[in-house]
Amino acid sequence: MCKNQINPIHCIIPPYMLKKLMESGNKKIADMAINTNFRNYRFRNDRIFFHNASLKEKRILGLISKQVGKELLQMEVYDCKQKTDLAGAILLWDSKNNQKITSLAGKNVIKGGKASWDFYSQLFGRNSIDNKGLLIKQYVHFDKGMDNAYWDGRRMVYGDGDGTVFTSFTSDIDIIGHELTHGVMENEANLDYENQAGALNESFSDIFGIMIKQRFNNQDVKKSNWLIGERVMIGPKYALRSMKAPGTAYLNHPELGNDPQPATMDKYQNLPNTSAGDWGGVHINSGIPNFAFYVAAYNMGGYAWDTTGRIWYAVLTDVKLTQNAKFADVKNLTIVNAEKIYGINSPEVKAVKQGWAEAKV
Amino acid sequence: MKVKLIRTGGFIPVTKAAETEVNLTDKELVRLLEVIQQDPKAHRIKDGNYYELNAGKYSSPVDLEKVPHEYKALFSKLKNDLKIIK
Repeated sequence: MCKNQINPIHCIIPPYMLKKLMESGNKKIADMAINTNFRNYRFRNDRIFFHNASLKEKRILGLISKQVGKELLQMEVYDCKQKTDLAGAILLWDSKNNQKITSLAGKNVIKGGKASWDFYSQLFGRNSIDNKGLLIKQYVHFDKGMDNAYWDGRRMVYGDGDGTVFTSFTSDIDIIGHELTHGVMENEANLDYENQAGALNESFSDIFGIMIKQRFNNQDVKKSNWLIGERVMIGPKYALRSMKAPGTAYLNHPELGNDPQPATMDKYQNLPNTSAGDWGGVHINSGIPNFAFYVAAYNMGGYAWDTTGRIWYAVLTDVKLTQNAKFADVKNLTIVNAEKIYGINSPEVKAVKQGWAEAKV
Repeated sequence: MKVKLIRTGGFIPVTKAAETEVNLTDKELVRLLEVIQQDPKAHRIKDGNYYELNAGKYSSPVDLEKVPHEYKALFSKLKNDLKIIK
């Protein structure tokens, strides 16, 4: 929502709209639109400069903490006591006091939150969700039997599950990493949460979620089963998603039927952009970029976070990744970034191309 | 009249619904829907759940955090009764 109450065109508006306003017969509106366009141009260039700046330049400009590499995790965990009032939740644990706790859900999110923070900090020098040391807030035991976990724009919230189909949504590190990555995404490209951009948003969360789990468990691409939420879903045959074989995470489930995820672009599902349509299938079509990542990572071998993960993180933080990006845009950006990191004719570039080819993007 | 609460969305998109009989006039129902209507411009919560209330000819996306005290028990029952739509 626009917070500028004085001049509505100072809000972020799409370029086509701005172009129309600049051509307006009303001089005042046209002038403001030209000013806005000028500011946008400067802002874009600033963003590119800051993105490409060296650590020394960033430090001099005060963009990062002077104590690079010494940032400390700041995290708080709250118990909602099965209510829906986040403001009334009780502080269970904080990183300053490191209290001893008995809540399993609390222990799970501390472990998952630390693993996620370490992942971003140690591999990419990222200082928390916003890269400015944001305090991570996690809320457990939200609502009675809520079978879900979400990122609400400021914090991560987890339900205990219904006890029949799902158990606590804190049970898998990949889910905690998934939700935290939604926060990272909101601070980077902030991909729209609908249609292909939304499916990419979901895919980035799954990709970083699985890598956080793999790193925590020291699993290479062959050792990992590439399942998201394998503990959350009750029953040994079930998981929430499979990145290795989208569409097979659960089959003939008594309540849920079959996993609807496609693995390839020819099976892309055109769904309505409504909540009932999963905002154009954001959790469904994410199977396609997930599969591309899996194939690329598998072909590269070793630890996914050391190779494919670096490429995908470079894309996640690439100023060229636009809010309404499509699968083909991310395909191109992963190839360009792989070429930058590993060289044009490298096996890594070949593996990335193979990944997208297998996913038929 | 019958009211039906439908829940959609989530980490994996699952639709759940629950129905119950209520003793509300049309006027009371319209007033309730006005109060609890979901703001269409609200920030889209990643992996969030969304609710819709259907009652006769009326249907509206609703925000359960806005439910007035006198209707809390009704919505609590509906939420507890939610079943997966296969």
